[in-house]
Amino acid sequence: MKTITNILLFVVAVVLAGCFEKPDSRIHLREQIRSDSLADNIVTRPVAHAFSALIGESIEITQAVMRRNDAGLLELYVNGYNRSYQTKRFRYRVEWLDDSGLLIQSKTSVWLPASAMGKSPFSLKAVAPTPKAVNFRMDTRKWE
Amino acid sequence: MRRTILHLITVSSILAAGCAQETVNIDVMHDEGKPVMALDYRDFDLAASQLTQSLLGSGALKKEGGGRTVVARGRIVNDTMQRIDTSQLMSKIEIEILRSGQAVMTRAIGSDADKLLREGRELRDDEEFDASTIPERGTLQMFDFSIKGKIFQRNIRYDKNRQQVEYYFQLSLSDSVSGLTFWQDEVIVGKRGSNKSVAW
Repeated sequence: MKTITNILLFVVAVVLAGCFEKPDSRIHLREQIRSDSLADNIVTRPVAHAFSALIGESIEITQAVMRRNDAGLLELYVNGYNRSYQTKRFRYRVEWLDDSGLLIQSKTSVWLPASAMGKSPFSLKAVAPTPKAVNFRMDTRKWE
Repeated sequence: MRRTILHLITVSSILAAGCAQETVNIDVMHDEGKPVMALDYRDFDLAASQLTQSLLGSGALKKEGGGRTVVARGRIVNDTMQRIDTSQLMSKIEIEILRSGQAVMTRAIGSDADKLLREGRELRDDEEFDASTIPERGTLQMFDFSIKGKIFQRNIRYDKNRQQVEYYFQLSLSDSVSGLTFWQDEVIVGKRGSNKSVAW
């Protein structure tokens, strides 16, 4: 009897898994746009939001990629994710370093605004002012 | 009575001095001051930084076969309600164009032309000047590209108490031979604040 129950549960699980379509990760459907689920619905949502705020979820950087463009200038692509449910506004500044690790003075190294919507990925791009740049450093601060 | 008046004047002076706003220097590297409705240096820094990165990153200034592209400054129109010297934007961009090593700016022609370049050449027949130190004919270089642009402003009533002011910084780079535009971009700076604030 137990074996039959186990087999039935397995079959149900396989059928359910087959019915569940994995969403395309390139397309982001936000809360209240996408269909509710057991884990995300009108009852659980306020709890999830409160918990997220309580543990201080915010911006995370997932990837920083550098490449040299056709003009010989270094380009920086920063990908990140806003783990919070709130839109996060912040400022960032990219400074470029030469092969000795020294700062390259540039009028482009100023505090620039950025924002990321809640539970969403975001990307930033910066272009070095001169081909002498070989590395970067990036700083962030609150949007006043 | 006279003494009482003197005391009152002294006390009032001390109080007035205490209320006076202290003058401070702005930390232009990390200014955490409140935004203002009008355009301030932070807005120009932001616009110049984003436009420069866009221009340099586009590769439009890179000359095929090496050498430096010559760029002239065209007309930058100020269509805002503020009295703006457009050099506040363009000089930052030109500094970075020069630093990039991709291009050089010419002052022989354009909206920021140096009149002395021409005046010096008009001295060829002046015996007071050593002729060998005066540039020969045909030495000035024609520009490859010109940069023109516009800064304009839109004021919108947001609600009963607030207004929205939008500033648009637009620049484009055109080829001097074909007239074709090889790069163009826009930066928008938007501000929302009290109706009582004046954006000019």
